[in-house]
Amino acid sequence: MSDFALKRPLMNRRYTLEVRQQMAWPWQALILGVSMLLGLLLSGAILVLAGVPAGELLNEFVILTLFDAQSLKSVLFQASPLIMVGLAGCLAFRARFWNLGLEGQMIFGAVGATAVTIWDIGSPGMRLPLMMVVAMVCGLLWAVTPVLLKLKLQVNEIVSTLMLNYIAINVLLHLMYGPWKDPKDAFPYSPKYDSFELLPELGNGLSLSIPIAIVIALIVLWFVNISRAGLYLRFVDKSPKVAGAVGVPVAKTILIAVLFSGALAGLAGLMVAAGQEGRLTHSFYVGYGFSGILIAFLARNNPIAATCAALLIATLFVSGRSLQVFYQIPFAMVQLIQAVLVICVASSDFFIRHRIRRVQGVD
Amino acid sequence: MSKQNAIQLSGVSKTFDGFKALSDADFTAKWGEVHALLGENGAGKSSLMNIVAGLYGPEGGSLFIDDNPVKLKGPKEAAKMGIGMVHQHFKLVMPFTVAENILLNLGHIQTAGLYRERLRRVSDDIRAMAKRIGFEIDPDTRVDQLSIAEQQRVEILKVLLAGAKVLILDEPTAVLTEEEAERLLTTVQGFAREGAAVILVTHKMNDVLRYADQVTIMRAGRTVKSLKPDSVSVDELIRLTVGESAPDQSATPGEREPGAPYLQVKGLTSTGPLRALNNLNLTLNQGEIYGLAGVGGNGQSELANALMGIPEPVEGQMEIVGEGDLADFDAARRRAIGIASIPADRYGAALAGPLSIADNYALGDIHSGRYGPFWYLKTRAIEADAAEAVRQFDVQGVRSLKQKAALLSGGNAQKLVIAREFKHPPRLVLAHSPSRGLDVKATEAVRDRLRAARDDGAAVLLISEDLDEVMAMADRIGVMSAGRIVAEFSQPADRQAIGQAMVNHV
Repeated sequence: MSDFALKRPLMNRRYTLEVRQQMAWPWQALILGVSMLLGLLLSGAILVLAGVPAGELLNEFVILTLFDAQSLKSVLFQASPLIMVGLAGCLAFRARFWNLGLEGQMIFGAVGATAVTIWDIGSPGMRLPLMMVVAMVCGLLWAVTPVLLKLKLQVNEIVSTLMLNYIAINVLLHLMYGPWKDPKDAFPYSPKYDSFELLPELGNGLSLSIPIAIVIALIVLWFVNISRAGLYLRFVDKSPKVAGAVGVPVAKTILIAVLFSGALAGLAGLMVAAGQEGRLTHSFYVGYGFSGILIAFLARNNPIAATCAALLIATLFVSGRSLQVFYQIPFAMVQLIQAVLVICVASSDFFIRHRIRRVQGVD
Repeated sequence: MSKQNAIQLSGVSKTFDGFKALSDADFTAKWGEVHALLGENGAGKSSLMNIVAGLYGPEGGSLFIDDNPVKLKGPKEAAKMGIGMVHQHFKLVMPFTVAENILLNLGHIQTAGLYRERLRRVSDDIRAMAKRIGFEIDPDTRVDQLSIAEQQRVEILKVLLAGAKVLILDEPTAVLTEEEAERLLTTVQGFAREGAAVILVTHKMNDVLRYADQVTIMRAGRTVKSLKPDSVSVDELIRLTVGESAPDQSATPGEREPGAPYLQVKGLTSTGPLRALNNLNLTLNQGEIYGLAGVGGNGQSELANALMGIPEPVEGQMEIVGEGDLADFDAARRRAIGIASIPADRYGAALAGPLSIADNYALGDIHSGRYGPFWYLKTRAIEADAAEAVRQFDVQGVRSLKQKAALLSGGNAQKLVIAREFKHPPRLVLAHSPSRGLDVKATEAVRDRLRAARDDGAAVLLISEDLDEVMAMADRIGVMSAGRIVAEFSQPADRQAIGQAMVNHV
């Protein structure tokens, strides 16, 4: 099988590269873990160069964030919308649909939920469930156009979803500076939600958004592993050309996965608005979409791994804020670290797909 | 015009994965002649020429160029010795211009000067050469904006500018209209008159009769004979090409009473510009194997796609008696009716290579609900059924049902496809080259399954470019040419007459 070796000289001629057919999953996990660790070490080095004392790194990132009850709470708090966008990314990417519009779908979810609060639709008791449904529907609607354009007219979804983000951001800005501006202080954000419009805290101080995120992760896991759609998605993902020929309803599968993805992104928008901010603001959405893509990528589109990756990124977010406060390190450093992690994991793919072999007896 | 040998091969063999593509083949082409290499698909013509072009190393025998023994290390070296091959599938970089493509090929010759200068020089050379041989090609056009015939001219210019004196054309007329083919072959005939050697790999009798000075006939990896085309009758040429008789007549086709018509294809025509299918009519009865013979590229793939539900731009009727038009059925409906499809391209249309054997098998019964409702996939039931099918259909090399389907050998992959398609007794079997690339044992297993389906009353359509297979299997034989069925035969059929129908209508 490995006969079609790419005989490329590597360093010197005594090594050849071969394409691997299959690698046992423990090895894949090991390679992924090592590359992730390498990424973290590189990030540490960058932080040291930026002025964080080397001795404090472990303290800042691990001890103070994960072993401090208050910080841990904020990590989990931060994690839930990230889990949602990560799962949204997994779903779309499994259908080979490059949904770069997670951010726009998220914004529209939040806009829809806020509309419910502003127009006071539904009784106070039903308000929050209604907001959730509306957020999901709005996120889904923001994904409908690109997926239909792709299925009917072969319009490249990378462009259409990305461009829709800009439309969503500008609509949001219009609302914040225009009709929905808070009349109390004239700052560009919506009026505060009423108390029954906020995601409630559970007894131990954790937000309801965390159990919701976990339940949704389980639903996605069911969808991709246990339902029939999961089988169809595997065909669409791995052999799109064969899928149609052997009777997989390709268009329907892509449509459902992408709409599901949009709905989850919309729900993530609600979690930011009703869980974290307590109102619609325009500054907190930028960057989530990118993180969602990255989480799905780090997790290889696996919902459980995406949940873990989202926790990792949430830790980065939280410690990034404290670095900002204590060492005056710009928050952009968090995005730099994300990027370093992605590059490391992406390059590890090379070692999973290839085998480097020493050739004996050849000059 | 010297008459010494341009190319001489003697006693050449070549094996691929245990399959002997060439055994002890001899071939001689002289300067100044158009030499046709004639044979059916899979006879070894392309393999033999790939050895001359330095793409394959021969396993035995020797190669002489201009009467000097040579050992080629690769295509570059062959090009240096003046050999240029135009492959059936063009090797052009689509978004590049003509001049860029040709310069890319001349990289090792045109080294002096800046890139812009070299490109300008090559463009001048292209214009001069194109004018000399009567091709209208603008060197600055992008290749993807050219027609197929024009792209072929670019390929020819490419090898000529690289200094080729031996021009090998692999099935050059397969993609051309009659007019274009005529023009091309007249041009290359002109090269030969100027002293070059032109080798024409073809299976079209007309090309041979009209343009070749000498013809070498190949069959099953051997060179059967080399002769002057005008020295023998057409019948004799056909006999040499298709062989004496089928080796296997153990089945007794022809004695069966055909059942009622089951599939009726009427006026099936491609809507694309190439008209691959041209008003094709076909009636397939229950309880018969209808063998569709023909030279490859006469619309077989397009017909198979249209029937198997793979997107193909066609209009016309494909009616299943009592059920409706095949074009209107979705996968679930096709399965429910009992339509089994065995496409020619196993990993392009039948099996998802990166997915497991169980996943691939599951598709066969997924719509019926046997493997659970939409919200729950009964993995255990799938694996149990797949394990049973693997055993029953003798799929070998299965270590685990979770193993990738791509790891199966050709024969076992085909058995897996049949296991899935034949899970429920089929009423209509559509098989396209079902034994291509399989060894003798696997071939026999596949054929037994088709015969068994026929004996159980199914209507079986066997599309195959292998005349031996059609002769051995079919109760009725249709010959496909230029997108329609030009002749039908009932068994026992005259092999000679079929061969004639295959080539005379091209």
